[in-house]
Amino acid sequence: MPVMGEVHTGLLQNSGEIEESACRQVLALTAGETVRVSRRPIVHAVSPDRLTGVDCRLPSATQSRVRGVGTVLSRCAITGGRVAQGSSYVRLTRAEADRRLPWSHYLARPGVVEVLGKAKARDLADGFADDPPPGCLDLGAISGRFLDLAQSSPLLDRRAPFKVPRTRLRWVAESGEPAIRFVLRSDRTRSVLVVHDGAFTPAVADLCEDLALHDWLLTTLLVLLERARIGAVPGPEAAARLAPAVDHLLHLWMPAARLGDAMAPYWESLDRRPGFSRQWQSLVDRVRDQVTVNTLALLSVTAEAGRRRR
Amino acid sequence: MTSVNAAFGEVAAERRIASAPLSHVSVELGHLYMEDVEAGPERLREQFRRVAPWARTVRSMWQERVPGGRARVSTCFLVDDYFSRSSSPAELVPMILGTAAEEGLSVDYLARESACAQADDVEPARLVEDRLVADPPPETTGSRPPVQETGWLCNGARSPGNGTVQAMGRAQRWAPPSQNAKRGHSIFVDVELWDEDGPGRTWSCPFLAAVWQLLRLGMLRSDGRLPLLPVPAPDTWPKGWDALPAVVQVNAQAPPFSAYTTLSVLSPRFLPVELAVRTILGQVAVDAEVLRQVAERSESEGVRLEDELVDRVSYVFC
Amino acid sequence: MLVFAISDKGGTGRSVTAMNVVYRHALQGNDACYLDYDLGSPTAGAIFGIGAAARGAREGGLHEYLRGYRAEPLRLDVWAESDREALRARPPGSGRLVLLPGSEGGGELSSVDEEVVRRCAQLFGRLDEEFDLCVVDLSAGRSFTAELVLQATARLAHVPFRWLVFHRWTRQHIIAADGLVTGADGLLDVAARFGHDPDELRDRIRFVRTAVLEPGAAELAGLRDEQRAWLSTCDDELRELARRHGVGRTAMLGRIPLDPVLQWREQLISDEDVLASKIANAETAAAFDDLARKIVDDSAWEGL
Repeated sequence: MPVMGEVHTGLLQNSGEIEESACRQVLALTAGETVRVSRRPIVHAVSPDRLTGVDCRLPSATQSRVRGVGTVLSRCAITGGRVAQGSSYVRLTRAEADRRLPWSHYLARPGVVEVLGKAKARDLADGFADDPPPGCLDLGAISGRFLDLAQSSPLLDRRAPFKVPRTRLRWVAESGEPAIRFVLRSDRTRSVLVVHDGAFTPAVADLCEDLALHDWLLTTLLVLLERARIGAVPGPEAAARLAPAVDHLLHLWMPAARLGDAMAPYWESLDRRPGFSRQWQSLVDRVRDQVTVNTLALLSVTAEAGRRRR
Repeated sequence: MTSVNAAFGEVAAERRIASAPLSHVSVELGHLYMEDVEAGPERLREQFRRVAPWARTVRSMWQERVPGGRARVSTCFLVDDYFSRSSSPAELVPMILGTAAEEGLSVDYLARESACAQADDVEPARLVEDRLVADPPPETTGSRPPVQETGWLCNGARSPGNGTVQAMGRAQRWAPPSQNAKRGHSIFVDVELWDEDGPGRTWSCPFLAAVWQLLRLGMLRSDGRLPLLPVPAPDTWPKGWDALPAVVQVNAQAPPFSAYTTLSVLSPRFLPVELAVRTILGQVAVDAEVLRQVAERSESEGVRLEDELVDRVSYVFC
Repeated sequence: MLVFAISDKGGTGRSVTAMNVVYRHALQGNDACYLDYDLGSPTAGAIFGIGAAARGAREGGLHEYLRGYRAEPLRLDVWAESDREALRARPPGSGRLVLLPGSEGGGELSSVDEEVVRRCAQLFGRLDEEFDLCVVDLSAGRSFTAELVLQATARLAHVPFRWLVFHRWTRQHIIAADGLVTGADGLLDVAARFGHDPDELRDRIRFVRTAVLEPGAAELAGLRDEQRAWLSTCDDELRELARRHGVGRTAMLGRIPLDPVLQWREQLISDEDVLASKIANAETAAAFDDLARKIVDDSAWEGL
C-alpha cells in the first residue's frame, strides 16, 4: 500500500533569520521532547513528531468508498532560520479486522492509517494526487496548521522582508523500480511520485521535504525577479527590489544536504532533468549581475561627480 | 583517487531514549486520600487487610508465569498531597509502613501524588497532556483541528451544541452523543482533565491517576530521560511534604519501581475514576521507541505482553 | 496589513470604495486581496465583474469556511476571472488582485463561538503572510462579524491591522460614525472586552468621507448664489460637528468625491473609465489612488 504526504512551505514570519536557539523554542511543540537540530551544511531544526487521529474516507480515483482509520504523523521544520515547513504523512496498510478497533490499537502504530474493506493501492495513490474532495482525508489541512503553529509563535516579529504565498507539495511513495516524477500542478501546488526499492523508510519523507524546500526557493526567487521588473524600471530601483533575495534567499540552496546515499540518486536525477540547480544558478546569476551592474553604475556616477568637483 | 565514503554525524540531530529498569508487575497497595490516612491506623489496617490476599495472589501468578519462577514484583503506595495537605511525612509515613508490615505487606516505594503534576524541574502531567491524541469520531478528515473542549477528553462525539448558525438560517436539531468504538449502544464518557478556576491550573484526579499509571509502566520520558527516579529513603522522614522526594524507595532490596504491568487494589468507590483513567490512557501516544524497548525486553525474557497499553493495567475492586 | 472597512449606516459606498482601494493598491504593484465579510449580502463578485460569484460563491465561500465546512475558502484571481475587459489583463508591474467571496445565500452570523474565531484568525494569519494588503469589508453597524474580527485580531499579536470607518458628509452620518467607534458597545468598548488596548486601537482607526460634494465641484455650477451660500454654511457646521465628534480632518484618511458613475453603478473605476470613455472623474480615481497609498503609509497614521 502507498505512503502519502503533503508538505507546506513558507517564509518564516520574522524580519531576519532566527538563531538556532530560537528555532528550538519555536519548534518545541511537545513537552519533554527534544527539537533535533543539524548544523552542517545549514542549520536545520525539526520539531518532535505529533499525531492527529483520523477516521474518514480516503481519496480514490474511481470514487470508491474506502474508509481509513489511524493517525497522521506531522512535524514542523525550519531551515536556515528562514524557511518554515509543515509536513504530514501516512502509511496505508490493510486492516486485519473489518471494523474499527479501540483507539489504543491505532495509537500503537504512529503514522499508520489502516484501510478497511477492499481497496486497490493504485486507485488510492491516484486519488491522492488531486485536491481532496470534501469528506476525504485532508493531509494538506493538517500540514497547513502545523506551519501555522510555527508562524504564529510569539517569538517571531511577523515583519517578514517580503510577502510570498506558501507552496504545497503532495507526494505519494510506493515500492518498485526506483523512479521519481515531479509535476507542477498550479502556481502553488506540486505533486511528486517516488518509487523506491524495498520497504518505505522515513528517508523518503525527508527527501520530499527537501524537494519542497528547494522548489519553494526557486518559486520565490522567480516571484522576486518578476517583481523587480528588470528593464522596465530604473536600474537602482530593480536592484533595490532584489535586495531581499540577496539578503534572505541566495545562501539557502543546499540540495540533498541531509539525505542519505539511498535518496541522493533521486535528487541527482531531478537535477539532470528538469535541472533544478541549473535554473537556480541562472536566476542567482541574474540577480547578482543586476546588483553588480547597478553598483558599477553607481560607482561611475560617484567617480564622475568626484572628477567634476576637482 | 578512489571515491571516499564520508560519514558525518551530529549528536544534536540524533534522538536518545533511556530505558527503564522493569519489574514484572507493580502492585499499588493503596491510593489514600489525606482524610483516610488521618482517620487513623484502623482505617489503614482495614485497607491493607483487604489488599494482602490479592497481593499474594498476583505474586504467585507471576511466579508461575515467569520461567524459573523469579518474578519481580514491586509494591507502591500513593499519598495524596495534591488535593489536600495536612499532617506531615514524619507523622504519617511510619504509620503507613508499620501498619502494612503488621498485615504482612511490604511497601517498596512511596510516592506523592503532587509529583505527578510537578517534581523538581519535570512536569509529568504536561508530558502526558502533550501526548494526548484524541480518539477521532467517524468522518474526522483532519480538515479541522480535533474537536476539543479545552480541558476535556471524551471517547466519542459530543452532542452537537448550538454552534454558529447564520442569521435567518435553520437551527440545528439535538442529537445524542456517541461512543466511537461502541458495541451496539454507546457508553459515552467525557473527562475533565483540568480546570483553571484557581490561580493556576488544577489537574483532575483521573488525569493525575493516568499519569501515575504511565509512570509505573515506565512509559514517560523527558528529553529522553526517565522523569522520576526513586530516591533511597531518608534516615528521618521530613516535616513537610515538599521535602519528601517524589518517589521514595523504602525497601532497598526491592525490584524496580516501574513494571511491564500494573495492578491496583482499590475500593469500588474508585470505579468511575478508573473508567476515566482508562479513557485517558487509551488516547495517550507513548513514544514508539519506549514501546519497542519494552517489547524487546519482555520478549527476551519470555514474557508475552498485551499489545495495547491500557490492557496492561489491571484492577481489583474490593 | 489587515484593513477592516466598516460604516455605521448602509449606503455609504463603503464596499465600492474599499474594492477600488484594493484594486488601486494592486495597480501600484502590491499583492492585495479583498474579503467579503459583509456576510448578510455577499455581492463583491458583481463589483469586480466576476459574474460567476456576483451573488457570492456557489461553493467554498467565506461562510462555508468560517462555519467549518471547508478547510480553505475559495479565492478568485480578479485578473483572470473578471468578465470586464479592462480588468482581464494584469497590467505590467501590478501585483496580485484576489477576491475571497462570501457564499451565495449566506447570512449574517448569529453568534460568535470559539471555533469560528479560531478559523477567522487562521485565515487572517495566512493571508497576511502572502498579501501586502488585505481589506476585510464588514457589514454596516454593530454586528457579530465586527465582534468576530475584533476577537480574531486580539489573538494575532504581531499581525498589523487598521480600521477605516466610512461615512457620508451629513449630520446623521457624522454622529453615527463617532457612535460606532466610541459609543456604548462600539468598537473601542467591545475591543477592550476582548483584550485590545482601547488607546492603541484608537490610533488604528481613521475615517473616510464618501460622496463628498466639494465646494468648487462642477456639479455646483448651476446653483443659485443663495444655494451656494447655504451649502457653505452647512459645510462649516458639519466641519464643526465633525471636529467635536472626533471625526474631523486629523482623524480623516481620505475623502472620496461624489461621482455619478458610483451613484449609478457600483464598479471599479479603471484608468480607461477616466481617460478613454471619460465616464468617471479623474478626481475620483485620484482619491482612490491616494487612499490606497495612505492606507499603508505609517506617516499618515501617526498618533492623533
